[in-house]
Amino acid sequence: MSNKVLVQELRRVVGEANVVDSDVHLQLYQYDAYLEERRPDAVVFVHSTEEVSRVLKLCHAHGVPSVPRGGGTNLSGGTIPFKGGVVLEMIRMNRLLEVDKGSLRARVQPGMFNLELGQALAPLGYQYLPDPASQKAATLGGNVAENSGGPHCFKYGVTTNHVVGMTVVLSDGEIVELGGMAPDTPGYDLTGVFVGSEGTFGVCTEVVVRIVRLAEGVKTMLAIYDSIEKGSETVSAIVAAGMVPATLEMMDQLVIHAVEKSLACGLPLDCATVLIIEVDGLKDDLEEQTEAIVRLCMEHGAREVRVAKDEAERALLWAGRRGAFGAVARITPSYLVCDGTVPRTTLPLVLKKVAEVGEKYDLKIPNVFHAGDGNLHPLILFDWRDAEQKARVMKAGMEILELCVQLGGTISGEHGVGLEKMDAMHLILSADDIQAQLKVKRAFDPADLANPGKIFPAVQEVSHVQ
Amino acid sequence: MSSDLAALRERLEALVGAGNLTVDGAAYAVDGMVPALVVRPGTQHEVAEVVAACAEARAALVPWGGGTAMAMGNPPRRLEVVVSLERLDRVVEFDPDNLCITVEAGMPLGRLQALVAERQERLPLDPPDADRVTLGGLVAANQSGPCRLLHGTARDWVLGLRVVLPDGTRIHCGGRVIKNVSGYDMNKLFIQSFGTLGIITEVTVKLLPMPVCRATVLGAFTGFAEAAAVLAEVQASFLLPEALELLDPAAADLLQPVLGLDSRGTFALAAGFSGSQSTVDRQVRDLEAMVASRGGHARTFREAESDRAWTAITNVQGGAAPDPRRVVCQLAVPIARTAGMLDSARTRAAAQGLAATVTAHAGSGLVCAALLPGDDLTEAGLAAVTEALREEAVGIGGSLVLLQAPPRFKARVEAWGKPGPSFAIMRRIKAEFDPQDLCSPGRFLGGM
Repeated sequence: MSNKVLVQELRRVVGEANVVDSDVHLQLYQYDAYLEERRPDAVVFVHSTEEVSRVLKLCHAHGVPSVPRGGGTNLSGGTIPFKGGVVLEMIRMNRLLEVDKGSLRARVQPGMFNLELGQALAPLGYQYLPDPASQKAATLGGNVAENSGGPHCFKYGVTTNHVVGMTVVLSDGEIVELGGMAPDTPGYDLTGVFVGSEGTFGVCTEVVVRIVRLAEGVKTMLAIYDSIEKGSETVSAIVAAGMVPATLEMMDQLVIHAVEKSLACGLPLDCATVLIIEVDGLKDDLEEQTEAIVRLCMEHGAREVRVAKDEAERALLWAGRRGAFGAVARITPSYLVCDGTVPRTTLPLVLKKVAEVGEKYDLKIPNVFHAGDGNLHPLILFDWRDAEQKARVMKAGMEILELCVQLGGTISGEHGVGLEKMDAMHLILSADDIQAQLKVKRAFDPADLANPGKIFPAVQEVSHVQ
Repeated sequence: MSSDLAALRERLEALVGAGNLTVDGAAYAVDGMVPALVVRPGTQHEVAEVVAACAEARAALVPWGGGTAMAMGNPPRRLEVVVSLERLDRVVEFDPDNLCITVEAGMPLGRLQALVAERQERLPLDPPDADRVTLGGLVAANQSGPCRLLHGTARDWVLGLRVVLPDGTRIHCGGRVIKNVSGYDMNKLFIQSFGTLGIITEVTVKLLPMPVCRATVLGAFTGFAEAAAVLAEVQASFLLPEALELLDPAAADLLQPVLGLDSRGTFALAAGFSGSQSTVDRQVRDLEAMVASRGGHARTFREAESDRAWTAITNVQGGAAPDPRRVVCQLAVPIARTAGMLDSARTRAAAQGLAATVTAHAGSGLVCAALLPGDDLTEAGLAAVTEALREEAVGIGGSLVLLQAPPRFKARVEAWGKPGPSFAIMRRIKAEFDPQDLCSPGRFLGGM
């Protein structure tokens, strides 16, 4: 079907104004926070489950692929319409439909920003725990698709641990409910399988999430180190002491400098690394926990540990951490975020090796990471206009992922495979493992129209590097 | 034994050795259906070979761990071979520094707990009968216990699995790191897959540090309303109990001799706390006050006594005298409806003259009702009560699943209930993984 006919048909389904196909518009939807670009044939603004269903029925009838898009913050190319077709703009489906405090559940539309849900729940005394650093701009639908993590995962788990049901539209337009308000729905855990499927199973149009009471108290600390090894050793020491902080985050000197340049959070510029540690829960033992952690940090070579005195100081520390990617973006034309994960105790070793990779390829690699989870985010800085440099960056990125796998880890902790890490899948999955995953893909999307060309090297037609 | 089966027997014997194969399957009957062969492979590789041989012979198989969930589900459509995982009970790797352990699927949960306790760690999953439940069985049947309130279920603790698919192919899912989005989350597919997509041979779970302090407060109430009011008060508070169990008087009476309680005929609300001394003390204090304010009687158990109390509470439904007529069902409902569901189950049962023991994971939306017909009640009457409960649970967005029932009863009452619209996807998954329909055929939802 020609683009023109497709657009006409789509307009008949959702109305004239809800389909855009001008050059300028399409250009806006051809990229996300990864480095590649592909232009869609049309962008459709959707407003309800039924509308999504009608659009997908039309696409299915004509063999047109589609990709749902939330905030477009995806770091692995998950929202890039690799095979063209339709981008479903989900951002108008952004309502909080129901909060059931007694059953600790909320029902939300996927276009709502993660932070908005938090802001809606807080006055009621409740919270939704997964909090990706990009929560201001990342939608819940995107969180579901990518199984997003965030700084509080060490204690509270990732998106999948907090999503208990959803409404999804399959690529043939069929509307299906998975899971729900009650636990342990009989049958396969399709909710669990769908979370993290990167848009390749269908479009999520409603999410039922688990909510919990806001913690009675919280304490946030900043431990400052002159050596990055000492910082990462402290992380293991805290866990070995039997403590489960809500957060164990690390930033190295390059990141601290970038953060200070753009946000001025009061981080020391002359240190090697800082650890942000947060404990939460009942107020009775927070002082005691804080003292124990401060003691451990000092014993493991911290130069100084600051404890946030009030909410304003805490907010400032978090602004620095949450703003880290954005701050780094201001000091470099482009960067590649690696997302490897390793067993926590190997952190000191992997950081050393990442630095070696940087030297080998003559690249600057600042690090910001979820130390408690063993989830690294080396940011490889470069200039996208320099093809030779970009090729080096890709090689360095792959080498870092290989390192993570060698140390018992994996190639993606929370950003997904998308287009970025298809070539790295063989590092962790056998051909049989991949075949098994493709069986699930076929069960959800036999026509291969839901975000095609992602995740699996086997179904990739051509190299994605343009 | 048919000639095909005789050939399969020879082949399996060659694979696992004569000592690990038996033709007397009486002890491994599934809902009364006796397998022709019981085979006990000794390694994961052997499991794959056994499954491949069965696939080639088109023999239907059912995996068997500790046997604790074998009373669940529909009777199998066919059953030739039971694959027992009892010899796969080794530790593959214990990494206490990274709070992670990998074991073979036949490892009993109790043994795993004892092992990791030596390093002051634990897996916070606590289904009944921990000494018999195997890790593979726990995962396949998604078994859980009171601690799911704070710690969740298998889906929150399993980091990785190794699985033998129905054609004998070996795959692995996940890994040993706590965050992993490298491809689909295949662990979730096999958790609660009930042996229908293959055989789980290895399980990697994350662990928690052992808490410094533990305590249990058991509140006894003469009325249901008082118990439910305290439950609601705890849920709305800042308290973070690990477990909250509500027991009807029949269940509470079963605890009486074990815990030395002095009252009879009361409802009981048990709350388990763990953590630092100061948080446990505060929570015990708060809960005791809540119980007292509703006219209840609180009794507090600490440390080893607390552990003993939880073992008793967790296994209370198993404490009743064995009776082949007993029907045990699990009702899943939205959390706020849990106490009401418990009350409804006991009231409906009583109205029909059934002896009922009803317990609930009260903060988690799960009610367990054991029903026993009196002498004058027919199976049809029992079925009617079960169906009425199912209708009530389904009406509020939940489900009723039979945990245990005589095979004849299962012919009247669907073991899992009616499948919803997502069943079409499940059937496609089953067809993709097991096109010959050989792994636990018919045992699961919708006869899948």
